[in-house]
Amino acid sequence: MFVFTKMTQIPVKINNRNPKLASYILSQYGGPDGELGASLRYLSQRFAQTDKSGIALLTDIGTEELGHLEMIGSIVTQLTKGEGARSFDRYGVGDYYIDHANGVYPASAAGVPFTAAYLQSKGDPIADIMEDMAAEQKARATYDNILRMCDDPDVTNVIRYLREREVVHFQRFGELLDKLQSKIK
Amino acid sequence: MENNRQMTARQLMQKVSEAIFYADDLKLYLDTHPDDTRALRMFEEAAKNARACVEAFEKRFYPLYAFSADCENDWEWLVGTWPSQIMS
Repeated sequence: MFVFTKMTQIPVKINNRNPKLASYILSQYGGPDGELGASLRYLSQRFAQTDKSGIALLTDIGTEELGHLEMIGSIVTQLTKGEGARSFDRYGVGDYYIDHANGVYPASAAGVPFTAAYLQSKGDPIADIMEDMAAEQKARATYDNILRMCDDPDVTNVIRYLREREVVHFQRFGELLDKLQSKIK
Repeated sequence: MENNRQMTARQLMQKVSEAIFYADDLKLYLDTHPDDTRALRMFEEAAKNARACVEAFEKRFYPLYAFSADCENDWEWLVGTWPSQIMS
């Protein structure tokens, strides 16, 4: 089960408003390499793991990704707080406003709704962990792309933190893969 | 947790999040290194500190866990800054 904690993993406080930047960052909410896909991927794949390290790691990283989903939602909310239809339109994201106004909807930066086709749960512990390592790299690369588009320090501080977490997760998954493979040899 | 009486909610929340983060990161490491005795001792200390930070915050400000909510007169769980809100 899960227990909710009334805080984000690191504090998120964004002073400036920027609906366009929000629409880019939303991709890490419900886009192809976003946190929703990451958490669902790991929390689903863990049922196929038999090694205790594998079960624990997928549970714990999947749980952390849910926390990251929450942080992305918080960034998007703060970047659009108080902004109305005209502002969204001026920023070039009037189409998002028409369907979701200031709501947080799981979609990619291009507006494609979230789909479970972004992830796999293969029932094969090694195939799953190899996918997970690739997923962490793709998420890290998306955060790099966001950093190239963003010069608001309140936002980049949080995005840099999330990027770093992907690197740590990649490392842990690599260690797990070594462990699983050495058990076969 | 010295001087936490003078801290604002935001300052103490920073301490809480640092303490929980440290313990959580060690937890991931221990998942793949369950026999690392140095990391085990570090986790023991980190978890103790995280619990103390959470307790200090909840005592002074508001509940972070529903189990900590005071319900003598009203539902204290509603109090505080939720992740969708901005902490002042």
